[in-house]
Amino acid sequence: MKRYVLIALAVVVAAAGALVVLWPRTVAAQPHLAETGQLRFVLTPASTKSGVNSFDLRITDLRGKPAQGDEVVVEPAMPQMGHAIAPITAGPLEPGHYQVGDVGLYMPGQWEITVSLSAERVVIPLLLT
Amino acid sequence: MKRSGAILLLALGAILGIVTPALADGAQVGADIHVAQTLGGRDLTVIIRRVAEVPGPVHVDVVTHAGSPPGEITLTARAAGAQTSTTKVVLGEKPGFYSGVLTIDRPGPWELAVDEATIPFVVPALVASPWENATYGGFIAAGVLLFLALLFAVFGKPGLALVPTAGMVAAIAVAATAALLSPGIPPVAAPGTQLDPTFDNVNDPYQRTSATDFSRPPVNLVPSMNGNDLVLSLTDGSSGRPVDDLLVHDSAFMHLVVVSPSGNLRHLHPIRTAPGEYRARLQAPEQGTHAIAAEIARRGGGVQLLRSQVDVAGSTAVKNDGKAGLATEIREAGRPSTITAGFGAKDLQPWLGMLGHMIVVGPVTGSPADAPIWAHVHSMIPPTPGMPDKPDESVAAYGPNVPFTYSFPLPGRYLVWIQVERDYSIITVPTVVDVPAKGVAEK
Repeated sequence: MKRYVLIALAVVVAAAGALVVLWPRTVAAQPHLAETGQLRFVLTPASTKSGVNSFDLRITDLRGKPAQGDEVVVEPAMPQMGHAIAPITAGPLEPGHYQVGDVGLYMPGQWEITVSLSAERVVIPLLLT
Repeated sequence: MKRSGAILLLALGAILGIVTPALADGAQVGADIHVAQTLGGRDLTVIIRRVAEVPGPVHVDVVTHAGSPPGEITLTARAAGAQTSTTKVVLGEKPGFYSGVLTIDRPGPWELAVDEATIPFVVPALVASPWENATYGGFIAAGVLLFLALLFAVFGKPGLALVPTAGMVAAIAVAATAALLSPGIPPVAAPGTQLDPTFDNVNDPYQRTSATDFSRPPVNLVPSMNGNDLVLSLTDGSSGRPVDDLLVHDSAFMHLVVVSPSGNLRHLHPIRTAPGEYRARLQAPEQGTHAIAAEIARRGGGVQLLRSQVDVAGSTAVKNDGKAGLATEIREAGRPSTITAGFGAKDLQPWLGMLGHMIVVGPVTGSPADAPIWAHVHSMIPPTPGMPDKPDESVAAYGPNVPFTYSFPLPGRYLVWIQVERDYSIITVPTVVDVPAKGVAEK
C-alpha cells in the first residue's frame, strides 16, 4: 500500500516538473516606454508575432496627465530591410489613449515604430517572432 | 546513531561543495566605451567606464586634448522612465583626464548627454544563460538527491534509496551535457549592436530571433554649413528615414575627414545632436569647396564610407604642420607600398585605439573632392607583454616608428596625411606620394 502511495507521489512530482519545463509560454506583449522632452509614450502591441497587429497607445506628459492631440501618427518601418509601410493615423478613444488597429507587420524581425503626436516623435523598437 | 550523524554531516558537506561554485560565479558583462567627440571648439574623448553594479555609479572620463579651452561641461544620463542624473565636470587648462560620476538605476538603453552631444549606450544586465542554469541546477539537484539517498540508506531503506540515486544520475547527466555543449551554442543577437536595444531585450538577452542577417541598407549623407558648424544629415538609402543606429567603431560614431581646397586635412568626430543629425565645428575654416568623407557603421554590422563635398565660407588656410622622418617604399599601382613615419621618441599615445592613422586621397588632378580613391589606413598597436590589450590615451609608450602598408590601386599623385597623438595633441604630417603605373620601374 505504502509503495503505491510513493509511486503515485513520484509520478505526480515528475508530471509537475514536466509541466513546469514544457508549459507553452505565451510571449506576453510587454508595454514599451519611450519619452521625449515633453511626452511619455507607452505602446503595447497586441502580439509579438508577425502578421496583422494592433497597438494600444497611452500618451501622457511627464507628470502623467493625458496628452492633448487629435491624431497620432504611427509609422512602422523595418530597418534591416530598409522597408517602411504607409503611416497610420488614429484618433483618441479618450484623452491620451489611442488605439491603432490593422497594422500589417508581415515579416518577423526587428521593427521600428515611429509614433508622433504633433511635433513630438519617438521611435519604439519592436521585435517580432 | 553516532554513525548516522557523521554520515549526515558528510552529506551536507558534499551538498555545500557542489552548490558553492554557483555562488562564486561572477561573469563580467560589458566593457568601457570610448567615443571621440568634436564638441564645439573642443576635441574630447568620452570614456564611459564599465558599469559594475546596477543601480549604481557609472564613471565617465572626459579626455581633453591640446588646444581645448578650459571650462565646464554638463554630463547627463537619462533613460525613458528612469531618474535623470546630472553632474558637472570642470575641464582644466592642462590636457588629460577629467572625471564625473553619474548614477543609473536600471539596465537598458541609456543616453549620455555631454552638453548638446548625445551618446546612446547600453547598460547590460547580468543574466545567467539557460545552459548555465541547467549546469548549476543539475549539480544542485544531484546534491540534494544524493542527500536523500543517503538519508534512506541511513534509516534502513536501501530499496527506496535507489529512486533518488537514479534521479541523481539523471541530474548529473543534464548538468554535464549542458556544460559540455555550451561552448558550441551560437551566441544570441546582441541588443545594441545587432538588435535595437530595449529594456526587455537587455534584461532577457537569451530570446532567440529568426533573423540571421542583421545588416542594414546604405546611407545617404547630405552636408550643409550652419555658421562654422558642418551639419551632416544621414538618411536611410531604402526608406529615407533618419539613420539613428550608428555604432561606436574605432572609438567614434563617425570618422569625418575634411580636406580643404589647398589640401589641408581635418579628422573630426561629429556629435549626435538629433536622430540622423550630426555636427562638427570647423575651426577657422578655409574658403572654398571642401571634400568630405564619413566612415560609419550601422547597427547590424559593416562599415560604410560616405563621400560628399560642401562649400565653406572662410578665410585663409591653416596648414597641417606636423613633422616626421618618412621612409617610403612605393611600389607600382596594385602592389603593397609601405610608408614608415619616425617620430623620434617612444612616447606616442594611442589615438582612437590605434598607433597611427594614414588618410590617402588621390590620384589628384584637380580638387580632392574628385579623387577616385579615398582610404583610411591604420597602424596597429603592437601587443606588448605587461601592457593592457586595449590601452587608453594615458599610456604614452609607443612608437617611435609608425608603419603603414597600403596598395595604391591607381597610378598617380596621392595626398597622404599621417596622424599620431603625442602629449594629448594630434600631429598631422602631410606628404605627397607618386605611384608609378604597372611595368614602370621604381625611381
